[in-house]
Amino acid sequence: MVSDKFVKKLKTFALKSSAIVAFVLLWEAAPHLGLIDPIFIPPPSVIAVKLYQLLLSGELLVHTAASLERVFLGFIIALAIALPLGFLIGGWFKTFETAVDPLLQVLGQANPFTLFPVFMALLGIGELSKIGIIYWVCQWPVLFNTVSGIKSVDPVYIKVGRSMGLTKFNLFKKVLLPAALPAIFTGIRMSAVFAFFMLIGAEMIGAHSGLGFLIIQSQAVFNMPKMYASIVSVALLGIAINYIMIKFERKAMSWKEDIAA
Amino acid sequence: MAKIRADNVKKTFKIKKEGNEFDELPALAGVNLEIDPGEFMVIVGPSGCGKSTFLDLVGGLTHPDEGTIAIDGKPITGPSRDRAIVFQQNALFPWRTTLGNVEFGLESINPDQDERREIALDYLSLVGLSGYHNHYPHQLSGGMKQRVSIARALALNPSIMLMDEPLAALDAQTREFLQRDILRISKESRKTVLFITHSIDEAVFLGDKVAVMSARPGVIKRVVDIPLTAEERASDDVVAATEFVQSRQLLWRLLKEEVVKVEEAQSNIHAEDHSNSLLLDKKTGLINSVRAFARI
Repeated sequence: MVSDKFVKKLKTFALKSSAIVAFVLLWEAAPHLGLIDPIFIPPPSVIAVKLYQLLLSGELLVHTAASLERVFLGFIIALAIALPLGFLIGGWFKTFETAVDPLLQVLGQANPFTLFPVFMALLGIGELSKIGIIYWVCQWPVLFNTVSGIKSVDPVYIKVGRSMGLTKFNLFKKVLLPAALPAIFTGIRMSAVFAFFMLIGAEMIGAHSGLGFLIIQSQAVFNMPKMYASIVSVALLGIAINYIMIKFERKAMSWKEDIAA
Repeated sequence: MAKIRADNVKKTFKIKKEGNEFDELPALAGVNLEIDPGEFMVIVGPSGCGKSTFLDLVGGLTHPDEGTIAIDGKPITGPSRDRAIVFQQNALFPWRTTLGNVEFGLESINPDQDERREIALDYLSLVGLSGYHNHYPHQLSGGMKQRVSIARALALNPSIMLMDEPLAALDAQTREFLQRDILRISKESRKTVLFITHSIDEAVFLGDKVAVMSARPGVIKRVVDIPLTAEERASDDVVAATEFVQSRQLLWRLLKEEVVKVEEAQSNIHAEDHSNSLLLDKKTGLINSVRAFARI
């Protein structure tokens, strides 16, 4: 029965949202009951109203656009550099890989926040240093996952391709690339998350626009509802981006049984 | 003229040890073998004797250190679509549908997409999988996957099929069905087949001839003719036929000596580690290996 199914879905939904609803209700009640100070932690209703106002005034959109532009540029540059580099290191130059791998591991392990001042010193405090540091953090997961993805392709697939007389280029296009795609996507998804972390950090250190700037500036002028509204916006944006990545991944690899959310 | 002719084929592998040192592992020590056009040749041998190494060489995927392999009198220089390989298992591309897998080899020969599709569908129905063309490998059973692998190889219309233990991972019933199909298809399409297996029953059932390989480093110890006609093989109780039983016994005797050699070599290595339990290990090892072979 359709209605049975619907009731079941509704029940699952209710169960899944119960903790969130309870949390929000508790948060809403706490300042009214005098458990927390609404000056420092305003109730969700106040934050929601502020979020709505920010959205109407266009302020939120301007800062979101600024943030997204930085993430997008840094991310695209990272893909453009790290993907081909990963293919080359993983697929062709075995000796080169042995030589550069330790260096890459060290560079990849360096805490990017400590490197941000270096980027500012080299590229100034404008857009370039922010895009630069986002590119920096994005390239490592893509590079490492691409290299290991290409290297761990089952040799039997390569044998099949070779036995059918494929050229080197076709072997790469038709065998190596699709076989390594799941690992490559893991890298891309990780780097999208890293990009967001780094973005907010960079915008908090030296910026005049962006969601990170909005948070730190609201805090400086003690506009707590605005600060929380910005934090919620960042969280929602992160969820949205992760959702888009998973949709994209599912589409690109429909042959996979299941891709965990 | 022989379709496939191997002359004194030798192959030694280098196994990397610590640093830049290499251990040499001789795999083939001078293999001589002739296979006639349209013949079904099966190679049996103990584990690790170099059967698959030899098949890779015939496939052109690796090169012999010494000796030559010639097809129709011409030495092999590399892989060719005229020699299609069916691998052990899980060699289907998981990102392609059944149809996409069978079309794979055709893509570099035939630019016409509709024609490719038609050819692929034909071969899928030949192996009994019509209606499964849109399935992905993970949606198929082990036996179905191997059927797709066979269709993928056949689609290239090779004159030679190289089969590297294609049925080893399947359960007994599926295996028997596939054996019958392989036999039927290879005879109908007049392919020359080189088939590798661990199973003596499988070898006798499929092979016009069965080559017994020695323990590593491998040489062809003897080539046994299997005096069974196509009609006899098609019968349900072929395993009870006198010729079947006699061939089986002969092969078993030839093979047993080689398995014992492998076991002794392993027991000796073992003995160096645990000298006090040498006798026991050797005995139980032998009994186990004989039992394992009897089961096959």
